[in-house]
Amino acid sequence: MTQTEANTTDSAEAFEPRIVAFVCNWCTYAGADLAGTSRLQYAANVRIIKLPCTGRIDPLFILKAFEGGADAVLVSGCHPGDCHYTSGNYHARRRWTLFRNLLDLTGIDSRRLFFSWVSAAEGQKFADLVDDITGKVREAGPFDPTNPARRQPWT
Amino acid sequence: MDLDRLRQDAAAVLKDGRAKMVIGFRDRAGDCVPAFITDAEQAAELVYDETCLVNPAAYLKKIELKRFRPVAVVARPAVMRSLVLLAAEAQIAADDVLILAVGDQEYHGLMDLAGAAALLNEQYAEMPHDPEVMKRLEELSGLTPEERAAFWTEQFAKCTRCYACRAACPMCYCTRCIVEKNVPQWISTAAARHGNYAWNVIRAFHLAGRCTECGACEAACPQGIPLMLLNVSLARDVEDEFGVKAGYDAEAEPVIGSWNADDNEDFIR
Repeated sequence: MTQTEANTTDSAEAFEPRIVAFVCNWCTYAGADLAGTSRLQYAANVRIIKLPCTGRIDPLFILKAFEGGADAVLVSGCHPGDCHYTSGNYHARRRWTLFRNLLDLTGIDSRRLFFSWVSAAEGQKFADLVDDITGKVREAGPFDPTNPARRQPWT
Repeated sequence: MDLDRLRQDAAAVLKDGRAKMVIGFRDRAGDCVPAFITDAEQAAELVYDETCLVNPAAYLKKIELKRFRPVAVVARPAVMRSLVLLAAEAQIAADDVLILAVGDQEYHGLMDLAGAAALLNEQYAEMPHDPEVMKRLEELSGLTPEERAAFWTEQFAKCTRCYACRAACPMCYCTRCIVEKNVPQWISTAAARHGNYAWNVIRAFHLAGRCTECGACEAACPQGIPLMLLNVSLARDVEDEFGVKAGYDAEAEPVIGSWNADDNEDFIR
């Protein structure tokens, strides 16, 4: 049994959301690190993937996460004006504006796609954010295994 | 439509060498198909009507046609927009192309790229989105996400990955497409639905802010997948969010690839 199947065959009461977080190296990753070093408790449902910048987050990454069994995706980076590379987050913002609508149209609705700005100083914000979206995804339930974006087993 | 003038102009540019080829349309047993004319005498077979949905701008980037530049193109407004956009993206030079501009009713005459851009801004600045597509988008937005997913599952299941949509599109000019890159393989080429989903979604997204809504991809799709739903939805969002309509300005910066400090961010917390 693959990992994907293991997750989707869990019974409803044992549902633990799997959230993939794409974060930038300079702000949100440091913010998440601060949450950890400050010993803040937050939901363990988030899998963090560190990238140099939000500008590096290709929409394909988000599709790949959903394809592989994520119940939700979080994308987070530096506040506007704070980008280590000056404008990566501005570029990313435009991309997300369009991409989230496209995903919504094709059946991945905005209950499963979250965007935020978390700075390196905002450990508390990161912890609260993860708790909040974990609760929301728990409410929304597992991502439908028959959704066209999900990887299908060979038949 | 003044077809005689169109044919005369096509013959004239070939005769005096201003263009080495005219790409237009001819009739083949009742179907409108592209015509590649290098001889002034063939200009008599040119036709044009609203069923001529092929976007001839797509041929300009084909390597086989490079030696025929400058090319004169029979272009309706959406095709003129494609040409202006190709120039804005530095894919063609202004003197690579001449335009035999056809409008909704009339033939506008022979012009260069700057002339076409001026014509677009004067007479076709308010090209509405296809009302039929807008109506279907409205219906789709009324459905639940699960119903929308079911709708697209059915549509994308038909996809045979022939990539006719890509071949028909003047803006899909990458020499290596993301779908052909396999280390790593981002988009599965297996006959399973997730690859079809990723392909169709990413194809549409790579045209965000670049689609001129010519409809050639949907017309080319042998399986009848409603690709224009995706394209028009994106074009509408680009217009609403960033105030841009693709293909009116040969100097324009790409929508994705430029930014504004006060772009909307209601959805980011």
